[in-house]
Amino acid sequence: MSLKCETERSKTWNNFGNGIPCVLGIDEAGRGPVLGPMVYAAAISPLDQNVELKNLGVDDSKALNEAKREEIFNKMNEDEDIQQIIAYALRCLSPELISCSMLKRQKYSLNEVSHEAAITLIRDALACNVNVVEIKVDTVGPKATYQAKLEKLFPGISICVTEKADSLFPIVSAASIAAKVTRDSRLRNWQFREKNIKVPDAGYGSGYPGDPNTKKFLQLSVEPVFGFCSLVRSSWKTASTIVEKRCVPGSWEDDEEEGKSQSKRMTSWMVPKNETEVVPKRNVYFKERHMSNILTF
Amino acid sequence: MFEAKLANAGLLKKIVESIKDLVTDAPFDCSETAMSLQAMDSSHVALVSLKLEVGLFDTYRCDRTINLGLSLANMSKALKCANNDDTCMLKYEENEGDSIIFTFADPKRDKTQDVTVKMMDIDSEHLGIPDQDYAVVCEMPAGEFQKTCKDLSTFSDSLNITATKAGIVFTGKGDIGSSVVTYSPSSNTDDETEAVTLEVKDPVNVNFSIKYMNQFTKATALSDRVRLSLCNDVPVVVEYPIEENGYLRFYLAPKIDDDENMD
Repeated sequence: MSLKCETERSKTWNNFGNGIPCVLGIDEAGRGPVLGPMVYAAAISPLDQNVELKNLGVDDSKALNEAKREEIFNKMNEDEDIQQIIAYALRCLSPELISCSMLKRQKYSLNEVSHEAAITLIRDALACNVNVVEIKVDTVGPKATYQAKLEKLFPGISICVTEKADSLFPIVSAASIAAKVTRDSRLRNWQFREKNIKVPDAGYGSGYPGDPNTKKFLQLSVEPVFGFCSLVRSSWKTASTIVEKRCVPGSWEDDEEEGKSQSKRMTSWMVPKNETEVVPKRNVYFKERHMSNILTF
Repeated sequence: MFEAKLANAGLLKKIVESIKDLVTDAPFDCSETAMSLQAMDSSHVALVSLKLEVGLFDTYRCDRTINLGLSLANMSKALKCANNDDTCMLKYEENEGDSIIFTFADPKRDKTQDVTVKMMDIDSEHLGIPDQDYAVVCEMPAGEFQKTCKDLSTFSDSLNITATKAGIVFTGKGDIGSSVVTYSPSSNTDDETEAVTLEVKDPVNVNFSIKYMNQFTKATALSDRVRLSLCNDVPVVVEYPIEENGYLRFYLAPKIDDDENMD
């Protein structure tokens, strides 16, 4: 099971900018889908390179089509001039990691998983000797709480947490592109560890619960005993509903221990009720014929 | 014939929402004086006891003692049709088939809605809870008890309750750590609803499944106050009064001690 999550860095991430003040932007891709990983990305760039970033075309990632995003991402990886303007790091959270986090006894919400990924990326930049003076983050959950959390962890750095940060700050847009292209690529080229996974002819789609191809894949690929393959986030309601309907009913030892075996039974203390308290049961003969007692004549 | 009218459908909604995840089928015993229910959860670890006295209803008529078996899931669906401040009439005619009719009326809009729910043949429990002289009786704000249970459940599956004259202590201990919540009896609380009162005859130290306690605290919506009645090696009673004319009581069997668990 891929429950480990490694930070993947672009070539120039280490010692980026050789000490010049940098801005770091964070965004994610794949928060909502039921299939595939969620990818968190941090992008870094010198503070004075805003115009160059815009020239690269990273102004608003939402406005870009897939081909344009891939073109920009390729430049970030291959063009040496661009690599002096921008570097990035990624954390790819597997579907299993997400599901395990959300299903464990001490519940770990998707917001907490996201915050943890973002914090790890910021720490990584600082550990790699990047002089981060500003951080721009696309919010997850209430922005004031998130900002306060980051400010406490990273004092002395100017932090801005806001909605739609990728359309406000080119550096966040760059992070968004890195995250989105990486997620799309991983989803498209997913290597199934499990054998005989049935994939519809049209593929498994975008991974979003509303996508007809994704729906079809979920219905086809569920295994009656073992449930879903590792591509599926089994903690998602969409997936767990299918498991409830289509799979063999199962009971978990943990639940049974909590409920049945570890507690005594109420019946140990109960005594027969007074006969007067017991409501007499009507004979079926009377019930079937809808006969009732006549109380007044 | 059975007919009972509540001024607020919201009350019945809250009651059903509080118990429907614990008990699936409810055998309501209706008599001249009250509408009551006693049912255990599927694992027989917890028991629900509900009593709605005549005084709670605007009108109440029950010609003879009857048993109305209802699926709480179906009852919940029926009640979803009602607004909280609608009046709610429950009606059962023995000669009109095995169904109960819920009539929701909105006086402001001159609107009524009838919902008919099929009844079920549910065996009423012939076992009752014996009267018990409890060693400790604690009354506290219902919201406070709910928060305590929720907080401790993040650390542990077990809730330990220790009570002495000095106070009542709730403890949750688990692999990741522990949490201890202590309440001393309030001596000078101006607001009575915020007070914690404690009657202690003998000290108590008991363990319960916190999962069930969290289920019980769904009834917080019914009352500002909750009463806990405790005794060593006896089920706890978690009681929510219903407008001075009834109650919703949850009984929970204590956990088996480790030494009892050994072969």
